[in-house]
Amino acid sequence: MTERPALGADGLLLNVDGISKHYEGVTALDDVGLQVRPAEIHALLGGNGAGKSTLINILSGLTLPDGGTITLSGHQLDLRRASDALGHGINTIHQELSLVPALTTLDNIFLGREVNARFLGMNVKLDRRRMEERVRALAAEFGLSQEDLKLPVGEFGALKKRVVEIVKALAFDTRLLILDEPTSGLEEEERLNLFEHMRRLREKGVSLIWVTHHLEELYGLADSATVFRDGRRVGTVNVSDTTVDDLLGMMFGIAAGEFGSTSSAPALAEVEVESREEVLRLTDVNRSYVLRDISLTVRQGEILGIAGLAGAGRTELARAIMGIDKISSGTVHWNGNPVKFSGSSAAYRKGLAMLPEDRKQLGILPELSVSENISISSLDRVSRLGFVLKSRDEVSQAESYRQRLGIKTADVREKIRNLSGGNQQKAIVARCLNTNPDLLIFDEPTQGIDVSAKVEVHNLIREFVANGGAAIVIASEIGELVELSHRVVIMKKGRLVGSVDNVPHALVSGQFEAVKNRILAMSAGRTES
Amino acid sequence: METTSSQKNQTIVDRVVTRLLVDPTLGVLALLVLICLLAAFTLPVFLNGSNLYNLVNNSLVVMILAMGMTVVLVSGGIDLSIGTTMALCAGVTAAAMNFGLPLFAALLAALAMGALVGLGNGLLITRLGLPDFIATLAMLGFASGVLYIWTKGVPIIGYMVPEFYIVGGLTPLAGPLTLPMVIALLVALVLGGILGFTRLGTHFFAVGSSKTGAMQSGVRVERVRMQAYIVSGLAAAVAGIIMAGRNTNVPADLGNGYEIQAIAAAVIGGAALSGGRGRILGAILGAITLAAAVNLINLVGVPSSYQKIVIGGILVAAVLANRISAVVSGKVRQRKAMVLEGIPA
Repeated sequence: MTERPALGADGLLLNVDGISKHYEGVTALDDVGLQVRPAEIHALLGGNGAGKSTLINILSGLTLPDGGTITLSGHQLDLRRASDALGHGINTIHQELSLVPALTTLDNIFLGREVNARFLGMNVKLDRRRMEERVRALAAEFGLSQEDLKLPVGEFGALKKRVVEIVKALAFDTRLLILDEPTSGLEEEERLNLFEHMRRLREKGVSLIWVTHHLEELYGLADSATVFRDGRRVGTVNVSDTTVDDLLGMMFGIAAGEFGSTSSAPALAEVEVESREEVLRLTDVNRSYVLRDISLTVRQGEILGIAGLAGAGRTELARAIMGIDKISSGTVHWNGNPVKFSGSSAAYRKGLAMLPEDRKQLGILPELSVSENISISSLDRVSRLGFVLKSRDEVSQAESYRQRLGIKTADVREKIRNLSGGNQQKAIVARCLNTNPDLLIFDEPTQGIDVSAKVEVHNLIREFVANGGAAIVIASEIGELVELSHRVVIMKKGRLVGSVDNVPHALVSGQFEAVKNRILAMSAGRTES
Repeated sequence: METTSSQKNQTIVDRVVTRLLVDPTLGVLALLVLICLLAAFTLPVFLNGSNLYNLVNNSLVVMILAMGMTVVLVSGGIDLSIGTTMALCAGVTAAAMNFGLPLFAALLAALAMGALVGLGNGLLITRLGLPDFIATLAMLGFASGVLYIWTKGVPIIGYMVPEFYIVGGLTPLAGPLTLPMVIALLVALVLGGILGFTRLGTHFFAVGSSKTGAMQSGVRVERVRMQAYIVSGLAAAVAGIIMAGRNTNVPADLGNGYEIQAIAAAVIGGAALSGGRGRILGAILGAITLAAAVNLINLVGVPSSYQKIVIGGILVAAVLANRISAVVSGKVRQRKAMVLEGIPA
């Protein structure tokens, strides 16, 4: 047991009191408080736009509050920049990765906290050997090899970057560790590994503030939970005294049970897809090093789920279908005709559309308005003679999507970056729908958005196929895939290794867990050589 | 074991080509060798010892500027004022000598002026929030205006003392070695050392690669950007001192066009205008390549007015080559990652 940090008179490690923050007339935080006891895991919950991220940015020194006090161990803090927070032992794992692509893993981990050695009598030279020695064991625990430490982070995929981020936060002495959705995109094993570390930190006397949208994760791990809604604090509870439904009720201000119960069989169970028209057929599609002998079909009115671990080639498959990446052999049939898309715009013209993974980097055009973001893929609908933009049409078109999809914004002319994640995602769905596609590919459609927005996005997908469209859904959460798909295929190392047909039927007969486990076994198991 | 077998399948030529495309520094080296080979067959005079010696000697000013520019590019900025700053610092050196100051005091004054201009750039960018391009373009205007008003358009003369002929490289230091060569080497060692082995260097790369990431990690982004401009201001001052000695007079337009050459040399050497990428060795080879290309067309007898067109063409080619190298290295990485994960080719 290490030394317990000194505490304030109130016995709290962190006491946030009366914090407010306004942005150009929008209230992000309204007089909120947060009390964290020593050595506890404190969950911070709330829907998109509840103000969690703003509070975290304030605690990590990135945002200055308009008013209020932050007290750590009885000392009032004045956090003006990130280094102030880090200097007080407040470490944050940000949702937006704080890694620098050009630097190596090692330099990233120690960025801002480098270790120097003497050189020509001056203490100026970086001591990379010592830095490496300090993190080697911790890095290995998370599957980062010594080789990985020397590679630029920009070469890693999203998952590995997340792991580096975690190692970076754990590598230094911490009194308060803030984790903003640390598990999003992580595989089961890394997730459990991270949870183990969180427990161990708590045993050492460190307190953790933990933001998550996966409420079931809280049980058995978090001690207490504070719920925010619309920039205000709703309340703080002991996690062991509550149920998921209680928490949902606090987060969204509605009683438990009002949510579309997502795990019940979808109404589409009766859909007989076998007889429907085939929209897309892939035959023995290969792409060097990435895809191997992929054959599959998608029918009208069908949602095809693609399961698999990170790196299994799911996104690569979607990109190959869209013509973004070239395929090296095999054929693609679209509505019965062989096609070769020379790029995604060709695919869009033929009636395919894709909702890319990683909304912030690939999806939204942050500086443009919501309405411009919606119309960008099909500008001819709002232009005359091929170039004149009819902005009034653009706005009214966006307005109709706003109502249909429930995009929460005061004005569709608002810049999209000012919307919460869930609403940004809905706007991107609107953009795809606006191209009037026959097939829509959703790559991680609900990553990083809250439970209620998730249900809404699911319903949008269901509605789209019910109206005659076809959809491919890629998701890491197997439960989500099972709830949504008619059929799930499983990818592993660039191949299709199995499929589960007629999923809705299986759900009706109460085999949710069985189906889930089967998919999990196929995507992770060592079934083939 | 799969790894080794699939790597063996690649021919050596394949691997050499990939390597050249992936590493910008090797790429520019290959370009340089190509120019030399081309010249060797068409114009044997090019490979003449004294021609090569002059070529390298003449490239030193651009080389020093390109090294400073590389630091700014790595940190995500661009310094359009670097040529004018060089001229201003040359003017300060000459004026200080004429004023009767001892040599080292004149040199210090020039360095101080360079640092001041760099600081000015940094302040315009970080305090007033101007884009780098605009701030340094404005600084180009200020500096060249000051120099014109101050000299009234008449070149500064009469400051040359014997030591100054050494500083400019007109009198060799020892044998064929000139002082500008030694200075360029020192600048290279210092800046290369900073970029590769110090906290500041890491921060230059970090800020250039991702400002948000750097800020969240506790890096003082604005201060680091300011430091990058001070480095390029100092590099301009060093180049200005050499220029004053080499040119034996300082006209107001001494620095015109040098910013383009400095940017071209840095980019040929692999620095990315988008930040986070660049190497001192690359800047050195870039400057020599640029000088070699200009030298070659001079020898062929193309009028010197065509030089700028050639520089522009090389710049375009270098940016394209940089992009190809980025794409190819991305593919190589992808292949490596897949091989590691056991996906067969």
